[in-house]
Amino acid sequence: MKTAVLYAILLILFGGLLYIVTDLPFGQPCKADMDEYFIRNSQTQTGANNVVTSVVFDFRGFDTLGEATVLFTAVLGVGMMFRKLHEGEEYEND
Amino acid sequence: MTAFLVLQALVLLGLLATAVMVVAFKDLLAAAIASAAFSLLLALEFYILQAPDVAIAEAGIGAGLTTAIFIIAIRGTKRHEEHDQ
Amino acid sequence: MKMTKIVRTTADVFYPFCLAFGLYVVMHGHLTPGGGFQGGAVMATGAALLIVARSYEDITGRLRKGVLKVCEATGLMLFLLAGLSGLLKGLPFMANWLTQTGGWVGKVMEFGPNGGELATGGLIPLLNVGVGIEVLGGLSIILLYMISGTKEKKP
Repeated sequence: MKTAVLYAILLILFGGLLYIVTDLPFGQPCKADMDEYFIRNSQTQTGANNVVTSVVFDFRGFDTLGEATVLFTAVLGVGMMFRKLHEGEEYEND
Repeated sequence: MTAFLVLQALVLLGLLATAVMVVAFKDLLAAAIASAAFSLLLALEFYILQAPDVAIAEAGIGAGLTTAIFIIAIRGTKRHEEHDQ
Repeated sequence: MKMTKIVRTTADVFYPFCLAFGLYVVMHGHLTPGGGFQGGAVMATGAALLIVARSYEDITGRLRKGVLKVCEATGLMLFLLAGLSGLLKGLPFMANWLTQTGGWVGKVMEFGPNGGELATGGLIPLLNVGVGIEVLGGLSIILLYMISGTKEKKP
């Protein structure tokens, strides 16, 4: 009984949210000045033909540095978690 | 236009079917393979929606590396899901 | 635990092709869809094939933890140094000072389609290669750590 009421509340909540979303115009308000700038100028400014790569590695290069650092830290965490070595293998820095 | 819509509907139905398979299989190796198929179909959907960068990343990470991690985990534990008491 | 001979042979055959395709995606990152992260992930998929098909003892001859660790650190250092190199010229961090200069990787390009000139983009190919090496080392060393840390049951 309790779970049925819970499911009913969830259904009403999600239905209401979806009904609200159907009223919104898709992609509005449209702010296109940045896209226009990238499409017009990225090739002549960076020399790279791929606009996505020129945004990821040049205009937003600092974000990519952060992403690379996150990957490095994740690998460090996995290395700490699986520190237990295979049988017959020695630690490198002991 | 209709062919595009039909293709997209087929891909989405395949996504739904593989997602149900992942939950339903009791053999965990089969579930891992089903999740790889899910990622592959998702990559196809990204390619249809004209995002080839994301499609390559999804095919490499989702269909390749995640499946490998699951298979290694299954090799370290049990292959079959146990029934509830 | 080894897998069957079919799986091992298939992994051996597909491994160089995966590496070659990943290298292609990394090197053409500034011309075609893809880039450092995607190409590194594809190369790591080739390494994952090899790791999944064999046991840890079989693999230590072909993939070593030390080499992959060096790969990962080298990639991040290459990225950082390429970003810092602009400071020597008095430009801000991560400024693309090599492009459109007519030099080594800075062939001057007009607006329009590119017929496959690899030597364009300035700093972008270097950053792509750095991120590719880092992702290859990082993702395959995760799998190698996992397979060396799990204790497998003898069948």
